[in-house]
Amino acid sequence: MPNDNSRRNYAVLAVSIAVAAVFMYAGLGKVREPLQFADSTAAFAILPAVFINLFVMGLPPFEFACGVLLLVPPTRRVGALAVAVVSLMFFTALASALLRGLTLDCGCFGVGAPSRPRMWIELVVDTVLFAGAIFVYLRSITRTPSPAPAP
Amino acid sequence: MPNSDLNPRNWQTSAVSIATPEPAGLPHARSLAWQIVRDLGLVAILAIVSLAAGLVINRSSAHPLPVVYQTPEQRFDAELTTLVAAPPFKIAPAATVGLDQFRSAVESKSALILDARPSLFFEQGHVPGALNLARDDFAHDYRDLAGVLQAAIDKPIIVYCSGGECHDSRLVANALLSLGFGNVSVFTGGWDAWSAAGLPASKGSVR
Repeated sequence: MPNDNSRRNYAVLAVSIAVAAVFMYAGLGKVREPLQFADSTAAFAILPAVFINLFVMGLPPFEFACGVLLLVPPTRRVGALAVAVVSLMFFTALASALLRGLTLDCGCFGVGAPSRPRMWIELVVDTVLFAGAIFVYLRSITRTPSPAPAP
Repeated sequence: MPNSDLNPRNWQTSAVSIATPEPAGLPHARSLAWQIVRDLGLVAILAIVSLAAGLVINRSSAHPLPVVYQTPEQRFDAELTTLVAAPPFKIAPAATVGLDQFRSAVESKSALILDARPSLFFEQGHVPGALNLARDDFAHDYRDLAGVLQAAIDKPIIVYCSGGECHDSRLVANALLSLGFGNVSVFTGGWDAWSAAGLPASKGSVR
């Protein structure tokens, strides 16, 4: 019969795989149509034009790397924190767009039609991803051996 | 060796450690904060490496993005500008019309007449009924005339410029052909031949 600790380890593994799958899928979706993703990013009216394409080029490899890091136990901690940071960033951008009354395609999982209901769904997805990443991160750091106390 | 519990300096420390025992498995708050900071540093390094990888991937792709973002309007303008920027030796021979044929098209209004000269020359004098689609400001003029041009996509279109050795009319005609206009020809005599024949002229910036 599995104890609490091994159950929690299975939960960490399951959440890591799920979050990694979402991030790797999202990264691949953005690589396919970078121009449309750049237009979606510009529609948020947050980043200045000089940073939009750099963001568009860097984000897909970053998301894919997050997925890979989450799947490998020794790097899971950093991958989880990276996912938490990016999810928080996406959440802030989407929430700000919704508050400003914008209707846009967030480009989170490839190209789509601008839609406010979809923006709300993606906001919820970001919240779930953030919660999952924080869970994995906190579990990973509590399992890291603490430094030996000073004599 | 003195007993450390008897030393008053250690009383405070001992009291704190008894009052707030550290939970098992949880690192000390300071080392936890330090670990988060270190991990954030690693995330920043990951972001930089990802950006470098993204730049390499973009460079090797079939349609690389420019480093600075261009709006769809700016991209369209750039594309249109490229269309009319071909050097003269690459100009394919477009269909041409003579003065009589051109005159009859102007008088019967059976064709859309386009003046490819710069707007300054157009304002000083142009063929009656002609619209200014200047080669040197093609993207801007094309967008201004988009409605008229789309309405005339299946109509004959005749383009002229100054005449003689001018290439503007051919460049504009070829650009229109590559944009999907099927019946585009060039009046090679141009404005020089029209005005030399004493035919009527219009003035102003009407497009």
